[in-house]
Amino acid sequence: MKLIETKSDMRGSITAVNGDDHFMNRITSIGITEGTTFQTVRNDKKMPVLIYLRETLISLNRADAERIEVTSK
Amino acid sequence: MTGSIALLGQPNSGKSTIFNNLTGSRQHVGNWAGKTVEKNEGTYTYNGTKYSVTDLPGSYGLSGNSDEEMITTDYIKSGQSALTVVLVDASQLERSMFMLAEFARLDKPAVLVLNMIDVAESMGKTVNAEALAKKLGIPVLPFNATDSKDYDKLKKLIEDELKAPHRLIVPAPAENKNVKENSKEKFEWVDELLSDVTQTGDAVYKMSRFDRVMTRPVLGKVLCIGVVLLAFLVAMLIMIPFMSIGSMIPTILHDPVDKLLTGWNVHPWLVSVFSTMLPNVLYFTISMASFVFGVNIVFGYLEETGFLARAAYQFDGLLSKLGLQGKAICPMLMGFGCTIGGACGTRVMDNWGQRMLAMSIVWAIPCASIWSIIPVISGMFFTWWQTLLVCVGILLYVVITMIVVSKVFSRKLAPQATRSGMIMELPPYHKAHWKHIIKEAFFKAWDIFKRALGTVTLVSILFYVLSFSKDGNVDNSLLYRLGTFIEPVTKFFGMGWQTFMAFVSGAFAKEAVLGTLNAVFMGDNSLMEATFFSKTASTDTALLGTAMSAAISPAEALAFMFATTFNIPCIMALSTTYKESHSLKWTVKVALFYICNALVLSFIVYHIASIFM
Repeated sequence: MKLIETKSDMRGSITAVNGDDHFMNRITSIGITEGTTFQTVRNDKKMPVLIYLRETLISLNRADAERIEVTSK
Repeated sequence: MTGSIALLGQPNSGKSTIFNNLTGSRQHVGNWAGKTVEKNEGTYTYNGTKYSVTDLPGSYGLSGNSDEEMITTDYIKSGQSALTVVLVDASQLERSMFMLAEFARLDKPAVLVLNMIDVAESMGKTVNAEALAKKLGIPVLPFNATDSKDYDKLKKLIEDELKAPHRLIVPAPAENKNVKENSKEKFEWVDELLSDVTQTGDAVYKMSRFDRVMTRPVLGKVLCIGVVLLAFLVAMLIMIPFMSIGSMIPTILHDPVDKLLTGWNVHPWLVSVFSTMLPNVLYFTISMASFVFGVNIVFGYLEETGFLARAAYQFDGLLSKLGLQGKAICPMLMGFGCTIGGACGTRVMDNWGQRMLAMSIVWAIPCASIWSIIPVISGMFFTWWQTLLVCVGILLYVVITMIVVSKVFSRKLAPQATRSGMIMELPPYHKAHWKHIIKEAFFKAWDIFKRALGTVTLVSILFYVLSFSKDGNVDNSLLYRLGTFIEPVTKFFGMGWQTFMAFVSGAFAKEAVLGTLNAVFMGDNSLMEATFFSKTASTDTALLGTAMSAAISPAEALAFMFATTFNIPCIMALSTTYKESHSLKWTVKVALFYICNALVLSFIVYHIASIFM
């Protein structure tokens, strides 16, 4: 499933990140790499998705969250 | 003897706090050669040795091709600094150690500072610094930025390391051309390093109660706006004591200086420069600097506690349409109070282009002074509901101006490829370091005072020369001659010489508009006094209204109101923008845009209004 489809408090791990090098560089240097476990903290309509990953609360806009594939644990 | 070090760290790693505390007021801000990235340098002295500190631009990594990352990599490679101090956030160690993984391949002398060790401990996280140092081969210093003893430890460590430097002994992670794999391998390198030296707290994240409220879609936004408005009020409260002392300067100095110089037979023109103009310039600049002081304190507080990151989260979607990061919401709201506050509030943004774009958009927001003069002027010509319509019209045009400014300037200032802020971290709430906030706010205010004094004096002299007349009669001033001379042109834009003159003085200070109108329509005040004593002089608006409505048409009044509102903000805001952006070129560019915008707007409003009125 896509990160954007996850519900609050769901825990899982990142399975794939898709995008150009620029996007990939930004997203992976903040810690969103394949295999990382995460927790969706908040996912409201029209708002960025809040996830907790590598001890950090991260906000991702919806278009970016669309490009991240995850699996629930 | 001298030593040279560089500070390297991700955004939110506390780098600027450490830089400011190390160097104090001995700082120099410039730009990296050929780049629009801000370069901060400073010095400090320890045990008789002078150290220069370079604050490297903040970025999450060093592999990307952004200006920030290239500058940092090139600088470290060049060896201009003998030692790199790598800062990581101990409360988010795993993620922030990525920077060290990126740094490793450069193979230069380094120390690792575990900043925010106090926050990490309060979360129940522990780091075995000694074990980590042993693995890495470089010193590791747990650090609490609020503890002055830790700065001594850091300075001592730097002194020792410059004599006997250490490099990483752990092999650097392999470089991989594939961005995804590259980051993955580096995080594995970090995980391996940290595996037996750290203990992290709970794996399940629980939002604090405050965060649960702050991240709610509607309530969170309302709260953000409320907090920023409150912050504005607090900034005003901080400013009031300084300003009231400043306001006494013109009154105290005027008579003695006047008497003294007249006694020496100095030309009356020069006498009033020293007795009227310069004391007022001093007063203006003190007011401005004290406001900047207040704004820096409240924004420093909001940033350090982590509030700004929440506001950015709330408004990122809306502002990305203007090419801005969510963080720009705070300076923009501040702009409704004062454009100076808005401009210096953009400091919280981490990229120069974003800051310049935010400042040029903040200029479109009518400040409190405009809101105080527009209803007065409108009331002279229109009924109360028409006045309300004028205000609504102005608000609508604010949105249009913002969109146009963004369209015109964002391609250069915020190219699509560099737009950041969509991915950002929300740091945990921190306690504010008051001492540091106040100290830093004071340095910034002092800095802006020194620089602005020159700019404001220069422009004041220019305006003074233009508005001076021997007998105090407007008709004898250069501005009058100039105004009437170019009246055919200004008439084309919808303004006669009187309103055009008020338009020009509005670019000097919005408060001066009423005084200038009084001078040109009533002729009982000299133009110069109207401008410089605008904050103390009172205007009889009823009388002025009668005189004005007899002299000019409602269409001209309407055109004038729009032109004044959307012209460049006051000269103090202009000089703040210049000071904050370090770019005369861009300040002038944006100023020219606003002047043209105001004139074109005046033209359109006048000619449309003439059809109906």
